[in-house]
Amino acid sequence: MRTIEYLSDPLLRGHLLPPLVAALALAICGSLLSVLVVLKRMSFIGQGVSHSAFGGVGLAALLSGLISGGLSPVAQYAVVLVFCAGAALAVATLGDRKSLGMDTAIGVLLVSSMALGAVLLSIASRMARSGGTSPPIQGWESILFGSILGVGWADAAVACGVSATVCLAIGWWRRPLLLWAFDEAAAPAFGVPVARMKLTLVLLLAATIVTGMKVAGVVLATALLVLPGAAAIAISRRLLPVFVCSVAVGVVGLLGGMILSFERGWPTGACIVLVLTVIVALAWVVGRARSVRARPGQGPAVNPLESA
Amino acid sequence: MMDPQSPPVPPAVSYRDVSYRYPGEPSLALEGVTLDVRQGERLGILGPNGGGKSTLLKITLGLIPKGGAAGWSGAVTVFGLDPAEACRNGIVGYVPQRTEAELAFPLSVSDVVTMPAAWRLSPFRAPPPDVRERVRGALSLVGMESDGDRPIGGLSGGQLQRVMIARAIAAGARLLALDEPTVGIDARGQHLFAELLADIHRRLGLTILIVSHDLRVIAAGCDRVACLARRLHSHTSPRGLTPAVLAELFSHNLEGVLGDAVHVDAHAASECAAHGHPPISAPHVPGPACEHGR
Repeated sequence: MRTIEYLSDPLLRGHLLPPLVAALALAICGSLLSVLVVLKRMSFIGQGVSHSAFGGVGLAALLSGLISGGLSPVAQYAVVLVFCAGAALAVATLGDRKSLGMDTAIGVLLVSSMALGAVLLSIASRMARSGGTSPPIQGWESILFGSILGVGWADAAVACGVSATVCLAIGWWRRPLLLWAFDEAAAPAFGVPVARMKLTLVLLLAATIVTGMKVAGVVLATALLVLPGAAAIAISRRLLPVFVCSVAVGVVGLLGGMILSFERGWPTGACIVLVLTVIVALAWVVGRARSVRARPGQGPAVNPLESA
Repeated sequence: MMDPQSPPVPPAVSYRDVSYRYPGEPSLALEGVTLDVRQGERLGILGPNGGGKSTLLKITLGLIPKGGAAGWSGAVTVFGLDPAEACRNGIVGYVPQRTEAELAFPLSVSDVVTMPAAWRLSPFRAPPPDVRERVRGALSLVGMESDGDRPIGGLSGGQLQRVMIARAIAAGARLLALDEPTVGIDARGQHLFAELLADIHRRLGLTILIVSHDLRVIAAGCDRVACLARRLHSHTSPRGLTPAVLAELFSHNLEGVLGDAVHVDAHAASECAAHGHPPISAPHVPGPACEHGR
């Protein structure tokens, strides 16, 4: 296996270790968030925010071209993060209004950000060509579907920082977050600052997506925020086991997907999503079988997510 | 406590000339509502859909801001406090319509009951013994003490409602505010619910506010009724709900409001007769709210 070969060679290790560290960090924070995303039915918000990151990437590319010396990787992250956070806030605000539903708000934002990103990237690469320098951002495919090659130690450090922040925030606010997520109508009557909880969750989502984008790509980053939670909820109906399962699924899926991508040379994001999908399918089969066994003669238990 | 001779106790909730217009709407949703909810009483707010019941409840829960273009006018106090502040202090125990919670959550019954009582705790602390004791006490009060470990998604409609009431009690509520408590509960469940509420009221002496368009739940579980259709129309005991009052309130659309509660209430019938109206011979037509629970 090339993976073991690379990891055991001190010279080659530097190519593979940073993406694996980044993936591990992302798997942990993305999986914790994904439980809330799935239960709160926010998958489409994740989708909207991750696609809007493409607009942020375009903006970062343009700024890199305009500023002499270009933007440092951390500054590029910051630009994309601010763009995504803005998009997430716009979705949260517009989606609240009765006139414009959440799905419409996301639909508009998603396509407009993608379009803006495409135009800005095109301008940036033309500027780079006429200036005789290399394009500030590598190919489209790696932006859309992720690439293991573009992940260096700086990206791994950012991923670890974001992951630690997300984990701390979820741990710190877990009680009000859960109360709000479980019962949004009653939570304000118990004094929970609902608007702040929503804002917190949306910002954590944006930060995770921006970091995950580098590994899994704009199109597939949202998978980290949906699939682990979906698998975990199919397996268990208890709070702590669901979070633990979700993290386990995320870690196996991300590391497995990366290794598959590295071994075969397939797009990284696609490999991660396919591995995670297999796990989700297995989890559904296991969950179904368990609920049938738990109530013999009554047929399979109804999944509350389907019946609600 | 209902004795008019006893020294005045400040009301649990006091509404003074409360008016509210939803932003962009031409007419008022509430107009000049003045009402006192006495401490320890069970008050039903009865009215048609769109009559402002839920709006009044939202104001009581501090969910609609006061003043300004989008706010309400008048004065509301909940145990002497501003509504939002009363909610922050956990005085008001809100029992929402059961359909609004996310029942797919991997939470046990005792998790759900513990959450509002414990969400302010430091994230490093487990719920202390007094909170756990309150949760146990509240669950046993609603007859669910042996169901603490069951998943919340596996309960029937009636059981879920008991859990929601236990949750409000465990949070330390002095006022229970129930929003359409019988929606989605079958006839037997409604009867059990009325008994449960009477038992809780007897044992804890809480003030209970029930908002409903269903006359049965109000007649079975309240000491007094306030009829609300934008304005407060009448303000009486359940037995004083004459057809004239109801007809005015519901614009003659009595189908669905009148159920067996009126049918079995001989006093209501005699009072109706005394007012010159024929006794209500309400058919046993289930109201629109009477769907079978899961």
